[in-house]
Amino acid sequence: MSRKSPLTSWVIALVVIMSMILSACAPSVATAPAATQASSGSTEATNPPASDATGGSGEMTEVGTPRSETLIVQTFDGKVDVPDNFNPLNASYVLWRGLRELAWGYLWEMDTATGQSYPELAAEMPKILDDQHTQFQVSLKKGIYWSDGVEFTADDVIYTLDTYFAGKGKLTYWGIPAITGYVKSYKKIDNYTVEIETTHPAYDFVTTMGVYTWGSLFNILPKHVFEKVEDLSTFKNPNPVTLGAYTLKSFDPNGQWHLWQRRDDWQRSSTGWMGQPAPKYILYKNFGDEQTRTLAFIKNQYDVDTFMSPDGIAAGKKQNPLIKSFSPVMPYHDMGDACSYGILMNNQKAPLDNPNVRWALALSLDLKSVGFNSMNGEFRASALPMPDTQITHPAFFAPLEQWLKDFKLEDGYQPWDPNFAADMVKKMTDAGADPSTLPTGDNVTKSYGMGWWKYDPAEAEKLMATAGYKKGADGFYAGPDGKTWEVELVIPSDWNKVMQRVGFSIADSWNKAGFKTNARQVDNGEFGKVQNTNSLLTTMVNWTPSCVFNTNYVQNWRSITKDNLKPVDSNEEIVGNNMRVTDEKIFAQIVEAGSMDQSTPEFLQTGQEIIKGMLSQMFYINMMNIPTTIPTNDTYWTNFPKADNAYSVPYTWWSSFKKILVTIKPTGK
Amino acid sequence: MADRIVSTKSSQKGRSPLKLNARLYVGLSIISVFILGSFILPFFTDVDPAAQGTYLKNMPLSAKHLLGTNSLGQDIFWFLVFSIRNSLLIGLGASFGITLISTFLGMSAGYIGGWYERIVVLFIDTFITIPVLPILIVLGALVRGNTSFAIVAAILIVFGWAWNARTIRSMVLSLREREFINMARFSGAGTFDIIYKEVFPHVYAYMVVGFINTILFAINTEAALAVIGLSKIQVPTLGSIIFWALNYNALMIGQTAWIVAPIVATVLLFLGLFLTSTGYNELFAERRGVA
Amino acid sequence: MKLAQYVLQRFATYLAVLFIGLTITFFLPRFMPGDPINNYISQIQARAGQTLSPEAVEQIRNSLAELYGLKGNLFTQYVGFLNRVILHFDFGPSFTNYPEKVSTILLRALPYTVGLLLTTTALSWIIGNLIGLVAGYYNKRAGATVLELLGIVLYPIPYYILAISVLIVLAFWLQIFPISPTFLPGEFTWEKFKQILYNSILPALTLVLAGFGWNILSMKSLAVSTKEEPFVQFARLKGVPNWNRMTGYVFRNALLPQVTALILSLGTIFNGALLTEMIFSYPGVGLLMRTAAGAGDYNLLYGSITLSIIAVATAAFILDLIYPLFDPRIRLGR
Repeated sequence: MSRKSPLTSWVIALVVIMSMILSACAPSVATAPAATQASSGSTEATNPPASDATGGSGEMTEVGTPRSETLIVQTFDGKVDVPDNFNPLNASYVLWRGLRELAWGYLWEMDTATGQSYPELAAEMPKILDDQHTQFQVSLKKGIYWSDGVEFTADDVIYTLDTYFAGKGKLTYWGIPAITGYVKSYKKIDNYTVEIETTHPAYDFVTTMGVYTWGSLFNILPKHVFEKVEDLSTFKNPNPVTLGAYTLKSFDPNGQWHLWQRRDDWQRSSTGWMGQPAPKYILYKNFGDEQTRTLAFIKNQYDVDTFMSPDGIAAGKKQNPLIKSFSPVMPYHDMGDACSYGILMNNQKAPLDNPNVRWALALSLDLKSVGFNSMNGEFRASALPMPDTQITHPAFFAPLEQWLKDFKLEDGYQPWDPNFAADMVKKMTDAGADPSTLPTGDNVTKSYGMGWWKYDPAEAEKLMATAGYKKGADGFYAGPDGKTWEVELVIPSDWNKVMQRVGFSIADSWNKAGFKTNARQVDNGEFGKVQNTNSLLTTMVNWTPSCVFNTNYVQNWRSITKDNLKPVDSNEEIVGNNMRVTDEKIFAQIVEAGSMDQSTPEFLQTGQEIIKGMLSQMFYINMMNIPTTIPTNDTYWTNFPKADNAYSVPYTWWSSFKKILVTIKPTGK
Repeated sequence: MADRIVSTKSSQKGRSPLKLNARLYVGLSIISVFILGSFILPFFTDVDPAAQGTYLKNMPLSAKHLLGTNSLGQDIFWFLVFSIRNSLLIGLGASFGITLISTFLGMSAGYIGGWYERIVVLFIDTFITIPVLPILIVLGALVRGNTSFAIVAAILIVFGWAWNARTIRSMVLSLREREFINMARFSGAGTFDIIYKEVFPHVYAYMVVGFINTILFAINTEAALAVIGLSKIQVPTLGSIIFWALNYNALMIGQTAWIVAPIVATVLLFLGLFLTSTGYNELFAERRGVA
Repeated sequence: MKLAQYVLQRFATYLAVLFIGLTITFFLPRFMPGDPINNYISQIQARAGQTLSPEAVEQIRNSLAELYGLKGNLFTQYVGFLNRVILHFDFGPSFTNYPEKVSTILLRALPYTVGLLLTTTALSWIIGNLIGLVAGYYNKRAGATVLELLGIVLYPIPYYILAISVLIVLAFWLQIFPISPTFLPGEFTWEKFKQILYNSILPALTLVLAGFGWNILSMKSLAVSTKEEPFVQFARLKGVPNWNRMTGYVFRNALLPQVTALILSLGTIFNGALLTEMIFSYPGVGLLMRTAAGAGDYNLLYGSITLSIIAVATAAFILDLIYPLFDPRIRLGR
């Protein structure tokens, strides 16, 4: 044992083996991604292209493009597991990575600042051929080319419709069941004209066949590429041929980034008429979770963020003066999103089937504190069941203001609090907010909304008493049987940090007002299930019933129907009418509105009546607009849309991005 | 897992420069400060530390708020006190269960032997080999919303017993061959009697060490889950306080105390537990003479 | 023969571990509260602006159940899955990324996890043991105490705290390393290798630091006791030089328990790697697992957990097979 033993050599051998394993493993780390890299330009990325003489510091991005010519955007969807699927017939393709804004073209786009549609691939708005509003003639622009040089014609539109009808039930894209149910027949008239007949009178033809708010149900396919594919359900569309001004240059096989390059023939693209997009390259990259993102943003590693938390932005602005939020004053962010945050309550489940109980919950919600604690006061309250935006305000909020002031509950109590915004400013001042960041004068109600419901636990106690609920010795409401009522509030977990925070603050507020509330945070998988399953839902923070973007409220509310109502204990899943409205009158009004011409004042009036009905019974406690926190960094690019330079809304995932791209300017750095 | 550190094999003839008892003293005093502080202090406040907006936000350190207040208007010091208490409670609860189960299984397997032992060993090997975190991720997603901490502790017990059981079994295995056990057996004592009277006292010392190490394991695992948002984060624990601080970007908004205080507290607590367990272990090894 | 018996026994354990592990993890995700189809439909509803009719939704629901292999009762699904996993190593399609195969997604992430783990485990084991050896062998000197203190302080610090601290200090304050990793596609070149290395240093450093403490401490205490053993004293009297005594006598004898400990701690090390990946957004299996759990993507979750168990069990098995090299009692049949 004590002789010069072979063991030392064993150890040496082990070390050698270890290092061999290591060196053997290292190449495999790299070759695996290379092998799965099916897309174009993978080799280009490693050989940085020569700088295009725009000057600049010569700094290069990590993906080998000149930083001065590259706009870098935080991805909307974080990291994706499958980054190489570009087939729009497949529901899980990487549509958030620039495909919607840079690659596809639509018959009609929507101006997201005004809610108005405008033609993109179409030459003009459709001609209506019959009195029933079912037959439409669509003419296409001439001179638009796919990125591989083939001209875009009516054949592509017809081919796409053919593919939709043929692939029904086999292809997973959600537009397919929607469009095949919407379109009855279609035919090609000539190379630039098609006629389409719908199954029902359609007043939303341009938003259904074009774009409503964000996405489109109808993504036009390049016939010359797709017709050669045998099985479209497994086709991944590598090297996507585009109609938009950019083509895919390369992407990360691990799903962290996608790089786009401007087409040389961008004039012939679907957005060519808008002018030349400034960035030669656009990089969508995931900079990790909130913490690392904020760090990277402060260090100028990217230019535009998406849904950064208020604290992240505050930190960024403090440490880097080039980081800017949408507005320099509260609430800092653009509030024009199509949806709003609110609380869904199961209208069928006792005691929530009692409108008084639902009202008691609303009056027990101290929204000022919720907004202050969870959002730093950066929010806009909205009492109607929709967001209070520049589009919806004149259509619904302003006309209903007097009604809200006069509105009484059954017992004569007036719940409206018109001083909400002023009180909010006072709360912020008391908390030591810098007065220069607070709105004044008319801007107070513009910032914080025109009002909300009073915070009045005493009135809530009266309302609860009518339902047989009294506060017990522990200060919590107990039912007629003496048992404490435990309210379950389902909230998103980390996947939506803003709602997660808001949810915890709501629970805090309700607990203080006597509702024993358990905030149960769930992953997005479970969230959908709770929302859609009758027996699971009690209360939850949610946004789905409130998405009203333009004046066409029926687009969303048509799902509030009797069809979407199941027995209270049913485990069956339903879609839409998540709060289980049972009111026949509302159902009838919504059906009626569905067949009205949406450009008429009567259509808006019906909408206002529906809103009144919803509020009287408090079907859904709407709270605030979704604050779309999109800070920008002016180091490499300037002239982003801001409150005082509002040439567009700031979203990088709507049509507004197309406008932003042709308007921003390089700093030359 | 912490138990690995227990090395029972050394007879410390060579004095370590770090005196053994010094370790034990330092460790014990850290732990006592933590235990006494976190269990007694809560009696001196009526404020629920997790309630939001109790104070103004983001106040600096002061006599009134020892560690300032956070972005939710909570007092960081009091939140931390409750966090330590809750973490300790979960650690003690889980550790108690784990020690019971692992001692029973380890001792019985070691002493009874045969097929019974093989099956137990198989399960021990499996539970040691299977990486626990993936399973905890699934369970965390399942239970975090509406369960009590008892269930979190139960999960920790189910996945944490194997290490201690393994050590105890091997200790018993070596004891089984010793003279005094055979003596007892020949003198007609029953199996249970022997285990209880002869084997148990030898295992006892390890149980204490294992118990402390398991507290460490349990607190650590719960906190790790909380940091990635998979525990019941509205209840103050050492993990949930870090979760909230990260969630609100504490470091970058100048809220250094919010994130640094729980990190320091965690490191100190873990150091205290660790020093106590190794100190005790070596003290016992010394007293025993030879392991 | 003793060696054959040993190998057989280890192999039996290996199989048993695999079987029990697979069974546990097969049933576990099925109790998850999420439901992939509902999740998918609610996402669609949000994106499509509630334009789907109930019939259209029903149609999607049926076709997805078919496509995902979720038809039939749990037992049918179980048998179907076992069949596919054992015979073809096929976990079916990912639910959230349909129709991408889970195995494809896993294989893409695996090299990162394996590379990170192997490197850091080897480094922390070798360096930690060397430091521990020196600290133990020269345990009367002041330097040894410093080294030991390093171990004592590092050992009890949890992974996540190390990870966050490393990120803050090295990436943000000192700006030496990137805050979030970027990996380039394309051919494998020296440049690319360097880039991968550079982008992996932060998570690797966390793992090495975390593994360090235990190796230092345990090696030190083993070295202290071993060097007092008669055969080492005898070697000293015989005039064997210091260095040779430390490596050939003390290290050699302390090695055995250290290898055992390494085998046993593989699962724990793996946990740390997963956690580190989540904190650093490192594109490995850990990150995959977290997102799969969130989205209720059973197949991906099942695949990644199964893969983890197979990997750890296999690594332990391989180390078990190397073990006789260190332990003459098994090698020579005592």
